[in-house]
Amino acid sequence: MNGFLVVLAKECRDNIRDRRTLVSSLSLAVLGPALFAALMGLVLDTTLGEAREPFTLAVSGAVHAPGLMQHLERQNVTLERIEVDDPQGAVAAGAHSLLLVIDADYPERFAAGEINALALYYDSSGMGTTRRNAMLTRQYVSAYSQKLGVLRLQLRGVDPKILTPVVVQEFDTASPAARALTLLATLPYLLVLVIFMGGFYLAIDATAGEREHGSLEPLLSQPVSRVGLVLGKIGAASAFSALSLALFLTSLALSLPLVPLHKVGMSLELGLVDAAVMFALCLPLVVFAAAMLTVVASFARTYKEAQTYLTVVILIPTLPLIVTQVMNLRTEGLLMLVPSLSQASLVAAAIRGEALAWGDVALATLGTLLGAAALTALAVAMYRRERILV
Amino acid sequence: MIRVERLQKSFGAIAALKDVSFDARDGRITALLGPNGAGKSTTLRILATVLAADAGTAAVDGLDVATQPLAVRARIGVLPHAAGLYARLTARENIAYFGALHGLRKATLRARVDDLVERLDMGEFAHRRVDGFSQGQRIRVALARALVHDPRNVILDEPTNGLDVMATRALRAIITELRDEGRCVVLSSHVMQEIGNLCDDVVIIGHGRALFGGSRATLHTTTGEADLEEAFIRIIGGDAS
Repeated sequence: MNGFLVVLAKECRDNIRDRRTLVSSLSLAVLGPALFAALMGLVLDTTLGEAREPFTLAVSGAVHAPGLMQHLERQNVTLERIEVDDPQGAVAAGAHSLLLVIDADYPERFAAGEINALALYYDSSGMGTTRRNAMLTRQYVSAYSQKLGVLRLQLRGVDPKILTPVVVQEFDTASPAARALTLLATLPYLLVLVIFMGGFYLAIDATAGEREHGSLEPLLSQPVSRVGLVLGKIGAASAFSALSLALFLTSLALSLPLVPLHKVGMSLELGLVDAAVMFALCLPLVVFAAAMLTVVASFARTYKEAQTYLTVVILIPTLPLIVTQVMNLRTEGLLMLVPSLSQASLVAAAIRGEALAWGDVALATLGTLLGAAALTALAVAMYRRERILV
Repeated sequence: MIRVERLQKSFGAIAALKDVSFDARDGRITALLGPNGAGKSTTLRILATVLAADAGTAAVDGLDVATQPLAVRARIGVLPHAAGLYARLTARENIAYFGALHGLRKATLRARVDDLVERLDMGEFAHRRVDGFSQGQRIRVALARALVHDPRNVILDEPTNGLDVMATRALRAIITELRDEGRCVVLSSHVMQEIGNLCDDVVIIGHGRALFGGSRATLHTTTGEADLEEAFIRIIGGDAS
């Protein structure tokens, strides 16, 4: 027990001294939620913006189609009347994001009842609203075209209904709030990743690093049991994993109020109690992560080799999350025994403001702690073998 | 007091130790001499409890290394072949870490480290991080680390490796002091000149076997050679032919 605390304290001190590595392993925890909040704000802004926000449409040759122009203006489109010779070049150069070109023979063809083809230029590669505005323009123009067609048919004494034997009416029941919630579903991934990242470098340095630098052999000839030694190393990795988790939850609590969720009539607050509950829910996963990182890093002979292994290993805990999401499985019953998956779904439920299902909490804690114990036993067995020195 | 009897150890198909026996007494410096790959390091690593022998026994102060490793570790101070230090810790912290693992606490530990820092003349660099230390400085820190719990038995694997003349002289003086304090000192080397005047007893190991064990005087009378190196060659050569 004595040795355990001494090893734990030394590994923690050693890891803190390595400032650059420390910063890089904790940066995800600190910056992740801020980035998440910014992304969420952006999504909310664009989804809300879909509600008929007026946009500007550049029109070349507007004088030829006054009726269409009137129609567009009634749809709340701001027209920018211009004359260009090279519409493609003008859009490519970025002078206009959306350009409608009306040819000079428009009135003539219009009068003769012939088809008038208008050209719409835009650059769809951007992240902005161009694509949506182009779609709206298309919609408005075709509505205008349909209106004219109906009138023309009526003039000729034909019932315009024969043109539309079938119509579709759409009802999108998703509120902007629901769309924001799908983004919230990515939080558990981030949470799991943050927990594993926290202990990442310490686990490598305390195992493969110690081996590489030749300090393992003298350490093994000290009067400390292998159990004490391994527990000390896993304990230290757990401490940094927990630190990473705490930083993440703090950063999340500070970032969430910055998301304009009130715009969609939602409130999402992470109070001190919620954060503490989430922290407690995730503690078994913290120990599991530390044990897993320590075991895998113990297989490696060098720091670099361990880094390669762990970069892959760190993705494994996110796999159950992806699989259940893709296969549309509900995380319940025995699935609650799966480490990382269970914590992710418990935290997701907590974020949605649902009451804790104590049965699930018990299963999750049990399953994860059993896994951690098995991994710890494996690590101890590895340190008992002479091969750890070779 | 260290007693080794008929040790055998193989790594896969390679037999590193076939038959090694010797006694190392308190208050004497016992040198394991032998060519590279003779089995010196393997023997010392079994004594340090980091390797387990396939057959035979090794005991420190009467305690078996295989059955009572923790008790043995408390009684030995080991300077392994590759004595790695923690680069981000200072020299004092490196020494204190092992002291704490031996159960030394605050005031006692500090006093012990102070004592070693003074004794091994580390005052200049004791508070600096180990990263960037010279080989001589590193060996001194590693030696202090091995001695922090005041062990009765000291095991040094090629201690003079990579040291310059001055550092070797200083180390020799320290090893002699350890002997004069009544400790049992076992060290290995393949460089005769370095330990020529240092050791009291000699164990010559070749091809995994102890070929000679006894005092320097006995070695010289047995071989009829006054020079350690010549005596060594005679014994090793006898094995080869």
